[in-house]
Amino acid sequence: MTELPTAWRSVLPHLGYRLPPDVSPPASTGPISPQVPLELARQSLSQREWWPVPAPVAERYASYRPTPLWRARRFEAEVGARVPIYVKYEGGNLSGSHKLTTALAQAHYYQRAGVRELVTGTGAGQWGTALAAACAAFGLSCTVFMVERSLRAKPYRGSLMRLLGATVHASPSELTKVGTSGESVNSLALAIGEAVEYARDGADRSFCIGSGETYSILHQSVIGIEAISQLAELSGAVDVVIGCVGAGSNFGGVALPFFAAHRADELADLPLLLAAESNATPKLSRGVYAYDVTDATGTGPMEAMYTIGAGYPIPGSHSAGLRFHGAAKLLSAMRHRDQIAAVAVGQRSALAAGELFAKSELIVPAPESGHALAAAASVASGRDAAHRTSTGVLVCVSGHGLLDLSAYDDLLAGTVRDAPASAEALLAATAALRPVDTPELTEVS
Amino acid sequence: MITSERRAEVSLVVRRVVLLESRLPLRPEEITEAEPLNGELLRINSLGFLGMLVLLEDELDVSLPDDLFVKHTFTTVADLVDVVAGVVGEETT
Repeated sequence: MTELPTAWRSVLPHLGYRLPPDVSPPASTGPISPQVPLELARQSLSQREWWPVPAPVAERYASYRPTPLWRARRFEAEVGARVPIYVKYEGGNLSGSHKLTTALAQAHYYQRAGVRELVTGTGAGQWGTALAAACAAFGLSCTVFMVERSLRAKPYRGSLMRLLGATVHASPSELTKVGTSGESVNSLALAIGEAVEYARDGADRSFCIGSGETYSILHQSVIGIEAISQLAELSGAVDVVIGCVGAGSNFGGVALPFFAAHRADELADLPLLLAAESNATPKLSRGVYAYDVTDATGTGPMEAMYTIGAGYPIPGSHSAGLRFHGAAKLLSAMRHRDQIAAVAVGQRSALAAGELFAKSELIVPAPESGHALAAAASVASGRDAAHRTSTGVLVCVSGHGLLDLSAYDDLLAGTVRDAPASAEALLAATAALRPVDTPELTEVS
Repeated sequence: MITSERRAEVSLVVRRVVLLESRLPLRPEEITEAEPLNGELLRINSLGFLGMLVLLEDELDVSLPDDLFVKHTFTTVADLVDVVAGVVGEETT
């Protein structure tokens, strides 16, 4: 019987190199005011492999973890799979997604550091909801800047966050300079930028981010740790592991424990670790490996990431959680070394896969998760000539889509359109970025 | 309370670490505590600052508590030396 993991597992000591350091943006001088608790920094920088889950966090995890894993036989039949498809489902908690797993950990560390209010930006609202829940759990105030278009399409996300005690602002708002500047074309980066600015201007406020940070990916490692154990219990073998990628915590959470276990000689064979991203934001499959900003203020350090450019005009879509210009620096470095692979999926395919999954497995997946399911269907059925399987596929369904039903309404009405990134726009948005030099990926023995 | 000799040792370690983080080929004695952490000479960003704290924990064998750093402002090397020396002093008394 798989039990709740008592520790998170870091992949950093197994990489064989260190991540490139962040760089200060040009002409950025002045006082330093740390926003992140030191323990989260330790988790991002240390070569230590196992990090005990603090008791207050473990207590909260126990209310919804281990999350279920099963063989999705009916979905296999629907998509013509030639191999088993195993599903790891992260939507069974109040926030409806995997994001609660790092939100609880972060809220715990910020509360311990003396912070009284956490501020964040959210696209689809899953992260905002998760942080609102975590703040409620640890007695913190919470302020969320949510992409206005997304908040309008999913008003109950706002309701749920407010029910949990959070203050919710539609972004762009009138509360911040970056929100009123009208300069940003990237809505999620703008919402995050507003949160950064709003947090910076308050004495007891801190900005808190959901997905791309190395410590977020560490916290999500419980997904993969559980999955390895659950697959063993089912005698299920997989040679491909798939998760969707906005910035990377869901994919990193399910996939990187397989990498660590293989490098630690606990798994004989390393599965193909396949990131499913939106073809509207194809950073890992068509982006450049360069230093880029993480939010619209451009005041924070620039990170080495696969990016389509922070200034890339990302079109509207039903998967706001994937509408981010860059991938986590950890995943980006692994992609640069061919330790992970990526595939871009259109939103019509993603929602169609979600519809099939709902009918066959009786769970409505989030549109973001539909990208992973579409990729899993293509690989398992043999339609994806670039990514082969001979034993089985594990796919993480990162969240439910019960608050995304307008997306499925549009699918049923036939009004969903794909908006794949154009080569010209990608080139224009990335032309001025400074590439990451390979020597900066410092080798370690 | 930390002795002046021990504070001087802490200061030397802090200056060595900030030079390392700024990738400057200088000796610790070549910068003063009045040097800005993020200015014309030293260029330390917020994550680099946190990485420095982790390194200082190892170098000085202390645990730096979060409530001394999150949302506090650090302008010069002296600001950092004062806080770290305070923790070192507490742990040795």
